[in-house]
Amino acid sequence: MTKELEHKFISEFQEHQNIIHKVCRIYTNNQEAHNDLFQEITIQLWKAYPKFRGDSKLSTWMYRIGLNTAITLYRKSKRSIQTQDFDTVLHKIEATKYDDTEEEQLKLMYKAIHQLNDIDKALIFLYLEDKNYKEISDTIGISEVNARVKMNRIKTRLKTILNP
Amino acid sequence: MDELDLLKKDWKKQESSYPKLSYNEIYKIIHKKSSSIVKWILIICIAEFLFWGFINLLIPDRFFDIYEKLHLKTFLNITYIFHYIIVVVFIYLFYKNYSAICVIDNTSLLMKKIIKTRKTVNYYVYYNIIMTVILSVVVNIIMFSDSALLNEAMNPKLEVVDEDKFFYIMLIAQIIGLVIMVGLLWLYYKLIYGILLKKLTKNFKELKKIEV
Repeated sequence: MTKELEHKFISEFQEHQNIIHKVCRIYTNNQEAHNDLFQEITIQLWKAYPKFRGDSKLSTWMYRIGLNTAITLYRKSKRSIQTQDFDTVLHKIEATKYDDTEEEQLKLMYKAIHQLNDIDKALIFLYLEDKNYKEISDTIGISEVNARVKMNRIKTRLKTILNP
Repeated sequence: MDELDLLKKDWKKQESSYPKLSYNEIYKIIHKKSSSIVKWILIICIAEFLFWGFINLLIPDRFFDIYEKLHLKTFLNITYIFHYIIVVVFIYLFYKNYSAICVIDNTSLLMKKIIKTRKTVNYYVYYNIIMTVILSVVVNIIMFSDSALLNEAMNPKLEVVDEDKFFYIMLIAQIIGLVIMVGLLWLYYKLIYGILLKKLTKNFKELKKIEV
């Protein structure tokens, strides 16, 4: 039974693993920290999986557990030491696709996101994932109105960082 | 183009650049141990229950002779029974709150549940401290109200001592003991929970700010 469940979990998880990578992308800025958080979220997902009834989508679960782990449960392990900045690394690869101004803007944007607090990061993450305000408020546990107000503030803040 | 649209576009573009972990890699991860704060809270709380539960056993029997001489044995036994009932109630409450912690709750609820669980143990520790203080006050009042008995209990060899001097030494020793105890507890809470719950407290405050 456990083996069966394990197999089912890994196969399903493999398919949706990008969600977790994206959570890590928002909450960490180097490869080592990314891997560490990814591990903890995966473990939490696996621990919660037996209770997963399939009445909601697995991806919805993954968003919740991913963010909850990043915001609340996760403690940086001692292993994670500061390595090269992720923003710089990722954008070196992507650089060719954009002209210089855009690339520079994006770099600043990601840097600004990494400076936000954990709750604001969650909001901007869900915005980038095209979640509506109902889903955002359900995931974080704040009212829809407050989610909307907060999101507008974060957007304004990000814009001012780019256009001082 | 709006900067945020640019960001969103880039975000979607990056979708293909994330690593794809193989079946075996994921298998290895799910067999690793979690190091979440909930797990740490559980470990520390159990240690606290055990510490306060067994602290009595660390007191040498000799110490209880004094209570016997002061005719406090029955009083002490009654407080013990009362104490263990309270301990069972606390353990039950802790277990109830702990098992209510659910990682698929929304962020706000999850934080509230963790804080509630943590608070149960805080109250348990407060209870222990208050009990210790009340007990020592009671014992002290009885002891100091009968100086002959006190002398007999604390000075079994009946050496000749200055009563006033004896009184002050007893008092000062007890105050020093209390200060050290409170100091150690304060340090313990600052260190353990300060480090462990720093992030949670900060994020919880942040959430509260949004809801105001």
